[in-house]
Amino acid sequence: MSDHTLDHGGAKWRENAGRQENVNEITRRQFLTYTLMGTGGFMVSTLLVPSVRYAVDPLLKKGEEEPYVPVADVSEIGSEPKRFEFTLKVDDAWVKNQQTTYSAWVYKQGSDFVALSPVCKHLGCTVSWNTSPQHPEMFYCPCHGGLYTKDGINVPGTPPRAPLDMYDYKVENGKLYLGPLIQRT
Amino acid sequence: MAGGPHDKETVKYVGDSRVRATRERLLPKPYSEYPGKTEPFFPNFLLKEWMAAVVFLIGFMVLVVSHPAPLESHAADPNDTSYIPLPDWYFLFLYQLLKKIPGDMIVLGTVVIPGFFSLLFLLAPWLDRSPERRPWKRPIATTIMLFVIASIVYLTYEAVAQHKMQLEESASAAEQAPAPPPAPAPTESAAFDPEQAYMQSCSACHGQDLKGTPAAPSLIGLSLSTDEVVDIMTNGIGVMPAGRFQGTDEQKKQLAEWVLSHQ
Amino acid sequence: MRKMYDWLDERLDLSPIWRDIADHEVPEHVNPAHHFSAFVYCFGGLTFFTVVIQILSGMFLVMYYTPDIVNAFNSVKYLQTEVAFGYIVRGMHHWGASVVIVMLFLHTLRVFFTGSYKKPREMNWVVGVLLFATILGLGFTGYLLPWDNKAYFATKVGLEIAETVPLVGPYIKTFLAGGDIVGASTLTRFFAIHVFFLPGILLALLAAHFILIRRQGISGPL
Repeated sequence: MSDHTLDHGGAKWRENAGRQENVNEITRRQFLTYTLMGTGGFMVSTLLVPSVRYAVDPLLKKGEEEPYVPVADVSEIGSEPKRFEFTLKVDDAWVKNQQTTYSAWVYKQGSDFVALSPVCKHLGCTVSWNTSPQHPEMFYCPCHGGLYTKDGINVPGTPPRAPLDMYDYKVENGKLYLGPLIQRT
Repeated sequence: MAGGPHDKETVKYVGDSRVRATRERLLPKPYSEYPGKTEPFFPNFLLKEWMAAVVFLIGFMVLVVSHPAPLESHAADPNDTSYIPLPDWYFLFLYQLLKKIPGDMIVLGTVVIPGFFSLLFLLAPWLDRSPERRPWKRPIATTIMLFVIASIVYLTYEAVAQHKMQLEESASAAEQAPAPPPAPAPTESAAFDPEQAYMQSCSACHGQDLKGTPAAPSLIGLSLSTDEVVDIMTNGIGVMPAGRFQGTDEQKKQLAEWVLSHQ
Repeated sequence: MRKMYDWLDERLDLSPIWRDIADHEVPEHVNPAHHFSAFVYCFGGLTFFTVVIQILSGMFLVMYYTPDIVNAFNSVKYLQTEVAFGYIVRGMHHWGASVVIVMLFLHTLRVFFTGSYKKPREMNWVVGVLLFATILGLGFTGYLLPWDNKAYFATKVGLEIAETVPLVGPYIKTFLAGGDIVGASTLTRFFAIHVFFLPGILLALLAAHFILIRRQGISGPL
């Protein structure tokens, strides 16, 4: 009788082996596994925290304040958009003071000036004024046929989803100075 | 056809793969299965190994944070005649070995000796074939290895010592060469003339035109900040002795700016 | 989690692989918890750990580094001084290079003095010696990359040494230097060797090293 009970218990123990087998052993193993994970996590984070911070550094670097640069004499600017180029010295990582050329479409509107960035808001091609015979008096982007009106507002139904960026400007001693870009919606 | 009746055995596979569909569950073996004080690799032993790794890592990171990796102040200058090159420390023994060998037998130092020992090293299992593993029971192998280690340590030590001496020599040579009088500390900073200070304190080594001499490199077109130059002036660098120019911090700064204005 | 694992396991039969790794027994004589002197058996593992640090920090360094004689030094200086934690990442790689040699040396001495290279482990010793050579090669090629005077002149000396090898010496030198002088092509060559060729060889040899250890087991107590 007692033999039978023992045997039965043994079989049951084996049956449940996956789940219940010797409760102490499992917790010990789990405890060790958790400690192991903690130790591993410590090592991985010690190595990765500085490395990842280092890798994402460009995301966290503050952009430098863009200076105002003289672009054109006020007298050169009429009511028709005209393209002006200007150069900025830019620090590109370890390449310091790199001369980089930018351009702007500038025209006069009453007593104010409008200076538009030529970078298409669709995918960054360069727009130009009045170059498409089908769309006179408009900014036209040759890449995907984006259109903007004279004040840089995108024409609905064409690819761009926002108006062209505008340069902040100031006038000093008869010269037009362009500054940071202003995004419009 | 192939295999005949064996194909019809009851083994089932997952799809047409060779992975068996029915497998016994693999549970961790109970510890009692391991004889003696052995233990399973995971998680018991790995944990101990990782503990050692953590101690190691902490020590390593302390070293890294407290000692920034050295970088010289300017890019390689192939015309720098005063530079005394030194290989990384683990090649020093080879470098020192070469110094001991006359020029016409250089092959001995570059190929024969290192090659011979490398070959011994590579073929160790076939040269030392007795089943005996304890080091004191295989005196030949142990003696050769100890001799090699001792030579490497000695040669490395000697290389470092000689390099240090060379640096000191060239520094004192640079100092003695045209015997520039130590610059008297100007009393009035208002009357401080960086060019005059340069001529008194620096030109003997760096040249009157800043273009450098065999004793010291050119100072034209340095890519250093003012503070770095002041630091080099104050503490010296390489063979350059510290404190050649004695002046106030403000004067050092002016002199540094003057030097850096030569681009 | 459980279900995803079962799904994969059914197809790929993963369990036996990691079970073999997890459950293999580790003998008492290499376990520092039983005999403190067994810490000498840690050097192999620490060498591997440092190699992992080297690979990681190296991958991050290449994010900023440029193998070009005009920009190499400036890019190293930039990442060291202007990028956040750049000096730590470069420090890990720089000091790790020395530490890996130290650990490797200690590991080799342990294997040598415990006679662990004897039958049946001859082949693993050979793989280990090749690993040693590969790591020295990584050290030599990596030394040039910052392109400062130390790098330049040490490499020049190294190449002069290569040149003295009878018969093939001058060819080896020209091949490594990529020309007659240590210059632009030397730097790109050393970069390629340091970043692609030698690490590839290193990983293959490491795999062989570990598979052999797993197959043969660790050598018994003295």
